[in-house]
Amino acid sequence: MDRRQIGKIDTRIKVIKKAAQELKALSRRVPAVDRNAARILASVKMLEINISDVKDLL
Amino acid sequence: MKNTSRKTDVYWNPITETLPLEQLQELQIKKFKRILKWAYEKSKFHRKLYQEAGLKPGDIKTLEDVAKVPKVEKAMMRDIQRKDPFPYGDALCVPLEEVTEFRQTSGTTGLPVYQPDTWQDWEWWSECWSYILYSQGYRKTDRVFLPFGYNIFVAFWAGHYAAEKIGCEVIPGGVLDTEARILKIQELRATAMMATPTYVLGMADTARKKLGIDPPRDLTIRKITCAGEPGASIPATKKRMEEAWGAKVYDHVGATEIGAWGYECEEQPGGLHINEAMFLVQLEDIETGEIIEEPGRKGKIIITALDRIAQPCIRFDSKDVAEWATDPCPCGRTFRIIRGGVVGRADDITKIKGVLIAPSAIEEVVRSVKGLSNEFEVVVTKKGDLDDITLKIELLPEEEKNRETVLTQLKDQLRLKTNLGYNIEIHPFNSLPRYEVKAKRFKDLRKHE
Repeated sequence: MDRRQIGKIDTRIKVIKKAAQELKALSRRVPAVDRNAARILASVKMLEINISDVKDLL
Repeated sequence: MKNTSRKTDVYWNPITETLPLEQLQELQIKKFKRILKWAYEKSKFHRKLYQEAGLKPGDIKTLEDVAKVPKVEKAMMRDIQRKDPFPYGDALCVPLEEVTEFRQTSGTTGLPVYQPDTWQDWEWWSECWSYILYSQGYRKTDRVFLPFGYNIFVAFWAGHYAAEKIGCEVIPGGVLDTEARILKIQELRATAMMATPTYVLGMADTARKKLGIDPPRDLTIRKITCAGEPGASIPATKKRMEEAWGAKVYDHVGATEIGAWGYECEEQPGGLHINEAMFLVQLEDIETGEIIEEPGRKGKIIITALDRIAQPCIRFDSKDVAEWATDPCPCGRTFRIIRGGVVGRADDITKIKGVLIAPSAIEEVVRSVKGLSNEFEVVVTKKGDLDDITLKIELLPEEEKNRETVLTQLKDQLRLKTNLGYNIEIHPFNSLPRYEVKAKRFKDLRKHE
């Protein structure tokens, strides 16, 4: 996998993160959305650990 | 580093697992600075610890600087947790309502330490284990049986979730007794299992003696991941387990307060890879405190979990002892290997008759002698001013006729490998204690005298 592809993956990760954060901000009265968005953000962190943290070092 | 094995698709994350050393170290220092800053800002305990050492997070710029950061020991965690705020004290770095998981340590070295985790930390746990299981060949086609209690100890919880993450089918064997677990493995044709070495051997024993089941012939388990005790990194114990099950047995190392930080890959290189993308491991000379970089010198493992946020583990003195391996692994991972796994605990390695010895060295000898059962016990006492060491063993019933040969071999190997002479007591077969999950076979009574 080359640097360009990793960069593309990282961009998508940022998009998902932003969307999940926005969901969370919109979801105050809907625990189903709030808590599931929180879980998505936890999974996003795993994507960041695996890809985003390393991207700039390659 | 080249993958010189014949296997492809061996990495959970081929990017981090084959990162060149220089870039791996850049990653480690970047993440270490991040978690240090997090703990400094969020936790009174960490802030005070670092301020008393005259340290601010910005002072740490290189991996060499990391050694300036004060270490944390388990006893400190116990002290913190006895004080308010309940129940975790002031080492907690997140609001209490963010904690979704409670576990505690086993309490074998003192009062248990509580371990809080956020949901993100819990995902992190299963991420660490995904690196482990994927490297050991776990795939979507596996049906994984977990014969553990699903209780207050972290044990194989994260192994369960990692197996799910990889896409395996996971069978929780919690409430079942040993016989029922074996029968369920047979019924469902499970292909993989996770357990302590003591339990792995115990299950095989039960299968044969109580159910007439020969695991290699009658069961479909072909890989076993061990945790909880050193056994799977002790070659003779590993061999016994592999022969008992007809399966490959892999080790991993972790701790409740640290995470799952080391693992044996499918190549079984005679040691454990450290997940250096997620953990920073330093080996420290037990006597001088100097950081050891070169292979062949044993040191104490000082470890940082680089992404754990609720109760960070920063420069934690694990008391485990290891040494770096010399050769890279054919798997191609750049993650360094600790040779032979964790070879002992700094507080277990002891001097007997002037000789430094780790209990695992005795286990390796006993388990390598054909004719002895899996169980043994070591008792160290003092007779006047002199140390006295007694090894209790059981001869397999069918080896009674070879008693003298077996004993001679045992004594010779003990002398050769441990440099000590032992009083050897032969106990009737099945009379020594049997342990269910984790064994306590080494008893140093000198401490109590």
